[in-house]
Amino acid sequence: MAIKEEVLSAIADILDVDAAKVTADKKLYDSIGVDSTEMVELCVSLGKRFGVKIATNEITKFSTPLEIMQVIEKKK
Amino acid sequence: MKERVAITGIGVVSPAGLKKETFWANLKRGESFIDEITRFDTALYPSRIAGQVHELDHYSHLSSRLVKKIDVFSHMALVASEQALQDAKIDLTMVDKKRMGVFMGNAIGGWLFAETELRDMYIEGREGVSPYMASAWFPAAPQGQITIYYGFKGYSKTIVADKASSALALWYGAKNIIDGKNDYILAGGMEAPITPYALLSSNSCGQLSKNNLNPKTAYKPYDLYRDGFVLGEGSGIVNLEKEEHAKRRGINIYGYIKGIGFSSDGYHYSRYSPKSEMFEYAIEECLKDAGWSKKEIDYICLDGEATPMGDYLETKALKNVFGKGLKDISLSAPKSMYGNLLGAQTALDLIVTLFSMSNSLVLPTINYQMSDPYCDLDYTPNVAREKKISKALLLARGRGGINVVLAVEK
Repeated sequence: MAIKEEVLSAIADILDVDAAKVTADKKLYDSIGVDSTEMVELCVSLGKRFGVKIATNEITKFSTPLEIMQVIEKKK
Repeated sequence: MKERVAITGIGVVSPAGLKKETFWANLKRGESFIDEITRFDTALYPSRIAGQVHELDHYSHLSSRLVKKIDVFSHMALVASEQALQDAKIDLTMVDKKRMGVFMGNAIGGWLFAETELRDMYIEGREGVSPYMASAWFPAAPQGQITIYYGFKGYSKTIVADKASSALALWYGAKNIIDGKNDYILAGGMEAPITPYALLSSNSCGQLSKNNLNPKTAYKPYDLYRDGFVLGEGSGIVNLEKEEHAKRRGINIYGYIKGIGFSSDGYHYSRYSPKSEMFEYAIEECLKDAGWSKKEIDYICLDGEATPMGDYLETKALKNVFGKGLKDISLSAPKSMYGNLLGAQTALDLIVTLFSMSNSLVLPTINYQMSDPYCDLDYTPNVAREKKISKALLLARGRGGINVVLAVEK
């Protein structure tokens, strides 16, 4: 699976939302209404899944999955 | 209280049912809903029986996304809140949410979530702890979750006062309505003590029945062989509004909260004072606040702790306050059927009493077989009795003597 699909699927899985609603180029807040505690959960869980350390200020609820993917790729 | 506050919606999540109709239909049969705890290994617990809520998910309207962020005590409270709001027929699109509040009582917090995360912290370190922990475990979490879920912005509060928590929450809610600060208030309580750590802590208090071989008959208030109460889990939530407001809406009014009496023993951090005078004082204060004479009381929903001392002191207080007049007052502890819900106990006592009023039926104290010379009142043993109830008192005692008495009328 390409990293883009992996990130999209991981976000849906971690937050328990419909995968079809997680759109690569839409801000997480706009597409699925992510709140601040969910963002912390996302940082920690994505970090564990992809073997990188993501600080909570590196991605925010106003990030898009594409931007998150770029952060992960840069750290890998 | 000069005015009275109308109760116009009921929500209940309990071992005896997750809908008000089921709850009442089950309880009037006088059966026990106490069972052995099978959710986790309880082999080494001194008390390992409880009234447990089954099929919460089946009755839940919450998304799995939300459920994973909250403890089960918030989940139960959200389900009960939804029922209460629907029962009260409140159109949430038409109300001023700045005038909608939530007053809840809880004694121990959300331990299933907390103890799991604490385990993860010790195994994985700080990154093993879910960020949802911050808002999931503490006693005010259900209040917060309810206000967030519905967007309520009015004055809200959570009261922690052991087994008197929801009695106080109901009164603070009623007072808030009379003071005109909110138009509607969801008031009541929730408790989820059937978790490995919470059950252990509850066992440590030394007040739980150890009659594990006979779960159905273990909780026996006022019986000579009583050995403590049995835990229960669940939530009871009612909708409160001003009497004239409810009448203007043309909504069914189950009953009214009319008064409160409260006091503290000021004696010991966990034991009651061996004298019952402060408990008596709370009952007298409640009667005074409601403007009722002793002769007017039809029913008293008892605290029914089922400890040797608790039941003796409750009986003594009733005798000292009401004297010979007690023979005309029905007494019972229906919680003997589904367990003691600690901080939520009075919320369920209230719901039971409201149904008793509308059905003219006093629910029994079950498992009463052998009379105790020190507890020699008529506690409506084992079988429900028909009786018209207009005015009732609900008794609640927290450990160390947090005495709260609520006056409720039809």
